[in-house]
Amino acid sequence: MKNNIIKGILTVSVICLTISCAKLLRVDNYAGPNAAFEGNVIDSVTGQNINTETGGFQIQMEQISYSANPDPYYIPAKPDGTFEDTRIFSGTYRITPTQGAFWPVDTTDVKIKGVTTMNFTVVPYIEIKNFTHRLSGDTLIMDFQIDAPRKNGLPAIIDAWPFVNNTNFVGSGSFISQYTNANKGDPNKNTIDINSTWNDTIASTTYEVRVPGLLSGRTFYARVGVRVNDSYKKFDYSDVIKVDITK
Amino acid sequence: MDRIDFIKTLGTLGAGMFGGAAFLSSCNKLNVAPLNIVNDADIFSNENGVTAYLASIYATLPIEDFIYEPNNGFMTNDGGRWQCFYQTGALDGELVGPYGGTGDGAQGFGFWPYDHIRTANYMLETLPKYKNAFTPQQVNQWMGEAYFCRAYFYFALAKRYGGVPIVKTVQNYPDQSISELQVPRNKEEDVWDFIGSDFDNAYSMLPGTSDRSRANKYVAVAYKSRAMLYAGTIAKYGSQNFVAGEAQQKGFVGIPVSSATKFFQAAYDAAKLVEGNYSLYENEISDKVQNYVDLFLDQNSPENIFVRDYSIASGTAHSWDATMTCRYMTADGLSRSYPTLDFVERWGSLSSAITNPDGTPIRFTDRANIINGLEPRLLATVYFPGDTLRGLTFDIQRGIYKSFSGDAVSELNDNLTSPNDGPDNLILSGSTDQTYNGKRVIGLCGISTNGDDLTRTGFYVRKYINYKAPQSACGLYQSTQSWIDMRYAEVLLNRAEAALELGTSDMKTDALNALNQLRARAGGNQELMSTLTIDTVRNERAKELAFEHHYWWDIRRWRIADQILDNSKFYGLLPYYVADEDKYIFLKQIETFQRVYTFDKRWYYEPLPGGELGKNPNLYPNNPGY
Repeated sequence: MKNNIIKGILTVSVICLTISCAKLLRVDNYAGPNAAFEGNVIDSVTGQNINTETGGFQIQMEQISYSANPDPYYIPAKPDGTFEDTRIFSGTYRITPTQGAFWPVDTTDVKIKGVTTMNFTVVPYIEIKNFTHRLSGDTLIMDFQIDAPRKNGLPAIIDAWPFVNNTNFVGSGSFISQYTNANKGDPNKNTIDINSTWNDTIASTTYEVRVPGLLSGRTFYARVGVRVNDSYKKFDYSDVIKVDITK
Repeated sequence: MDRIDFIKTLGTLGAGMFGGAAFLSSCNKLNVAPLNIVNDADIFSNENGVTAYLASIYATLPIEDFIYEPNNGFMTNDGGRWQCFYQTGALDGELVGPYGGTGDGAQGFGFWPYDHIRTANYMLETLPKYKNAFTPQQVNQWMGEAYFCRAYFYFALAKRYGGVPIVKTVQNYPDQSISELQVPRNKEEDVWDFIGSDFDNAYSMLPGTSDRSRANKYVAVAYKSRAMLYAGTIAKYGSQNFVAGEAQQKGFVGIPVSSATKFFQAAYDAAKLVEGNYSLYENEISDKVQNYVDLFLDQNSPENIFVRDYSIASGTAHSWDATMTCRYMTADGLSRSYPTLDFVERWGSLSSAITNPDGTPIRFTDRANIINGLEPRLLATVYFPGDTLRGLTFDIQRGIYKSFSGDAVSELNDNLTSPNDGPDNLILSGSTDQTYNGKRVIGLCGISTNGDDLTRTGFYVRKYINYKAPQSACGLYQSTQSWIDMRYAEVLLNRAEAALELGTSDMKTDALNALNQLRARAGGNQELMSTLTIDTVRNERAKELAFEHHYWWDIRRWRIADQILDNSKFYGLLPYYVADEDKYIFLKQIETFQRVYTFDKRWYYEPLPGGELGKNPNLYPNNPGY
């Protein structure tokens, strides 16, 4: 009797184990992330890709074909204003360019299958225009004016920064910190505080930022950025310039 | 029966019972109360049971104490629990510390204490069923404590996430369906109102006095003043500075600006109720530095409103002494967080104390003279170069200039490019053993070029350091000074801030009076009505409550964190020895790690925890920007 009961229990256990193993061995037949999504984010003023940097904006992806409340994920900007993700699931997505230095953009529903390409046009908060530069000894001087494609409701303009790097990847996420001094109260501060909503003075001012002490015999890449006090405080950039400091 | 037989029999019995249970599980139930399960009646019908149950709630209160880490939470387990330098102060510029930047701790740790809220709700529902076993006073007190604790939990949630689901009854599964259990988010304003009403319930039910780490009437309103002040400022400033998004449009984060006055008034009224029941610690009239130091160590301080105690025996002792000053002063551990000059200069610029009118650094014969004329409260909050602890001197020295000429300002950015800073003139070191002409290059207390377990700013934290403990007792898990989670000084600051935000002339007078009580105790100058602004009160709060986990939440609720922490570097006050003059100079320079601190606006609210969003789709939309 006792042995029979134990045998019975063992038999049941073996059956249970077998069933669960079978479950584990079943093949996952869900399609892998075999689609790709890529494109450009275009400046409405210039018609070219927006001047940005790595992570300078995000393409927010919400897969609404998967869930009514999908957790968003983000494709970060590339420095040339493009974006690309080659490993995503096919399906319908609610897509929003966001967290960049441009006016909010409406969402678009997109069916993604295979390699799907899409461009978005955005209105930057700030256009940097009449951008010129010159060298005075080891000091780089950059002059520029700022314009706002949409002036009505523009968040306050915070400041303008010079960025210098030794590669052409240059922006707020990659710059030589000794050449950008934003320390409040430091007489060598070389960022320009603006802290104002749009006005005629800003429109007519030519701003000048100076970067002293560039090491001689080196090549540097530089640009200026201006940011406004929106939700994300990202920079709108000038083009990147290349300067050789002669010995 | 011999031993072997007994074990055999047990084995047979065991197998039989197991088999029997498998076959008989559908038969009659045994109608006997199990002795190994604690029932409601065992707990809620006697005083010991209720007290033990309450103790289990108090023990889980999310008190941000010595061992709280903004990115890891309340550290109830071991592991990193010794590292007191992982402090909110090291995210917000009061200190520079182990964090690489503000982002390391700004998004929280997925705090979601609904299990503990359920424990409080369970008591609120169950205790009334057993009320005949007690006096009405007893029942009221315990109910009041449960309301207090529930409000404490919701306050900790609201300041992180804004609107969260208000759950005020016990949920049961599987009695209730999953969809009933997926409670949607409430609006942020509703959550703050709910917190206010729970504190009100606590106030009306609790007695006027209590044990030091339990709630009474005045404890409840002291916390109410803090919570309502948070809500008022979020309404006022959060409506100007916010991240746009669906959760914001729907009121899950953000409070209408029209509600600000309601909350400020509630904060003021609550703070005023505390008056007369607690008072500022003024024990040693003759020595204001000593008085301010002892305020944090004296167990009998009348300023303590709500504290958490620790002991070595219970395994709860912390490591404040071992990890907030350097190993030279302690028995074990190491330090990694150091007060900034930016914090120290909240008392006023030190530039005229270290620089001559012509811009050259003042030459000091004795570094300790730097403290001359500074407010006692500052000296009791921060150790300056030349101070002593346990008979040892903070001999802070960054290096040796063989000679130094010129002004101090060109050293400001510490870019080591001024003519003084050539390697043949300026000697720095990563070792406390290195000497130059028989003199140590750096002090035993720093500043080193190697690592961060010696100061990076020239200062060490003094607040809460137990100077009376012998060095041998300053090891890890050996500190038992209490954490003062609520003290009367904060109530006065809540009152002054709420009053100034309300802004009538009576209120301004009241604010000035509250502020000057603190100044008098601190040994500082009395403020004048003509110079009193909201910034005066905010600065006073930053000075008085430094390193107590306040400033981090304050700059968030004032919505200034993204301006204060905006690619910001913080300064130190670095002493150097000038060899050819045999003098010391102090230079204001960026702290030696040159860390950059930036606060993203979206961090004004932490993201709802991903795991909870997965379980409860009614928590969507998540906070803006996530």
